[in-house]
Amino acid sequence: MFFHIVLERNMQLHPRHFGRDLRDKIVSKLMKDVEGTCSGRHGFIVAITGIESVGKGLIRDGTGFVTFPVKYQCVVFRPFKGEVVEAVVTMVNKMGFFAEAGPVQIFVSNHLIPDDMEFQSGDMPNYTTSDGSVKIQKDSEVRLKIIGTRVDATEIFCIGTIKDDFLGVISDPGATS
Amino acid sequence: MSLAADSPVHSSSSDDFAALLDAELDIISDASADIQEVAEEEENIDVEEGDYDLKFDRAKRRKVEPYENVADLPSSSSQGSSPNKDECQHPGVYAGMCMKCGIKMDDESGVAFGYIHKNLRLANDEISRLREKDLKKLLHHKKLYLVLDLDHTLLNSTRLVDLTVEEGHLIDQRGALPDTLKRDLFRLGSMQMMTKLRPFVHTFLKSASSMFEMYIYTMGERPYALEMAKLLDPGDVYFNSRIIAQGDCTQRHQKGLDIVLGQESAVLILDDTEAVWKKHKDNLILMERYHFFASSSKHFGFNCKSLSELRSDESESDGALATVLRVLLRIHSLFFDPGRDDNLLDRDVRQALRTVREEVLMGCKVVFSRVFPTNFQAEQHHLWKIAMQLGATCSMELDSSVTHVISLDAGTDKSRWAVQEKKFLVHPRWIEASNYLWKRQPEENFPVASTVALLDYSLK
Repeated sequence: MFFHIVLERNMQLHPRHFGRDLRDKIVSKLMKDVEGTCSGRHGFIVAITGIESVGKGLIRDGTGFVTFPVKYQCVVFRPFKGEVVEAVVTMVNKMGFFAEAGPVQIFVSNHLIPDDMEFQSGDMPNYTTSDGSVKIQKDSEVRLKIIGTRVDATEIFCIGTIKDDFLGVISDPGATS
Repeated sequence: MSLAADSPVHSSSSDDFAALLDAELDIISDASADIQEVAEEEENIDVEEGDYDLKFDRAKRRKVEPYENVADLPSSSSQGSSPNKDECQHPGVYAGMCMKCGIKMDDESGVAFGYIHKNLRLANDEISRLREKDLKKLLHHKKLYLVLDLDHTLLNSTRLVDLTVEEGHLIDQRGALPDTLKRDLFRLGSMQMMTKLRPFVHTFLKSASSMFEMYIYTMGERPYALEMAKLLDPGDVYFNSRIIAQGDCTQRHQKGLDIVLGQESAVLILDDTEAVWKKHKDNLILMERYHFFASSSKHFGFNCKSLSELRSDESESDGALATVLRVLLRIHSLFFDPGRDDNLLDRDVRQALRTVREEVLMGCKVVFSRVFPTNFQAEQHHLWKIAMQLGATCSMELDSSVTHVISLDAGTDKSRWAVQEKKFLVHPRWIEASNYLWKRQPEENFPVASTVALLDYSLK
């Protein structure tokens, strides 16, 4: 799920940046530092959308660095247990398949793939129903339900299932909006 | 950026975050139970972060003191197991979560399958289940498993700095190289290496892929293995994620089939080193080492010119890979012989391999002369063992049924007897050559020089 929230961070800046562009420098450093990172609490920080405020700087003794408390608005993405997401399959093997929803890596084990879908090896490994009407292979888009999540410093891992109603391959590419 | 400075900031903003969520979720919580779960999960987040140490501690303690709970274990287990039969068996762990029920698990049990995903571990039951299921499907497609080594088996690599002067033409005059060589010779700038694929390897992989599900199994580092796989299999059709490198092995300096998802009775291995496959010698087809670069042959103690320096190469149609492909074909057809009436699942490819190997020197009876050191148990010698594996009978005594005398010296009694009786007198290399080439070699190519003759030669 995506959220638009306000976060705060203390930015340390080298004295050489002090000047007319101080604010821009802080913002660009902030973007570089936090976009693409992950935290267990908020999930994956997708993008900074605005700066709420830049607080008063505090000079550090000895180094001359200055710390600014910055409040910023950002879009975060955090998967939840029970959430249904759409993901792109990255790898298929006999244990199941791996898929990605943005930065999130999701594993769907063959226990959680409907029993009528069988693994087919070959140059393009895939899971296919006996009548061949549904096929999951690399680059397929699937809709799956998350049943477990784990957040590391830079990565989010999930366990997903497609063994439920309305889950599985999204046949119509237009439906992914 | 001290942690202390960061933490108050985080807690305040996450309160905002939680409040926002609460507000958001209160509106819709009645509508769906699932979403309520989400809300609960969200509340848990704070607990998770704050009490992480405590929780971790608890989990640890539970692990360390299992005996304290022994008294109430029977009651709890009888309660636990009987009502829900479909309790999750936790077949495997992905990033610390059970891959079936999603519950958090921190134990390090099972076998790591790092080559499939760095965070994947499978329990032993699950592995055997997968193997069984996979074998049935594979046999249905008339396929077996084939595990391939990289270095000296499918290719030869050298560091650029180790190239000799005579090999300089490989770099300087690349344009002038013959087309076949140009096709199989790669310079990997990023790794400072040069790799030469063994002749026939493309045809080999193509033919073998129709009979086998193939793995790469190398003692090299993972990035190297992936790079080599790209050279061997640019279309990514043969190996997919079945590339096992050094870090994936469960035992140091040993290759094991425990991380190969294939039943041992259906796996064949191609490797040039026997010692690393201690537990799986019966599955192994030993390959003659491929040395293209000078540094590689020097590493193994050969002082002759390398193929690269001689500007030559193994034969495309008669080289080791072509030979072994014929052997694989033979084993495959033997395994899937429609004339056999036993169950396909009960067949063992190791048996087929043994049978094919025994055909090589079938009907030969060999006697060794001055091959083993005195006081050496003849049966323990590797040549004796190889001869037996190739289907020859080995004997210590001379009699009329003997067909070959294997000797290092034409001057011994046994050697002279062989000449007298018009038996084959061959050098031990005859056995080794027959072993590598899977064919009884023409005996006249392996003559035995007498020490006298050798002396004569050296005097000239």
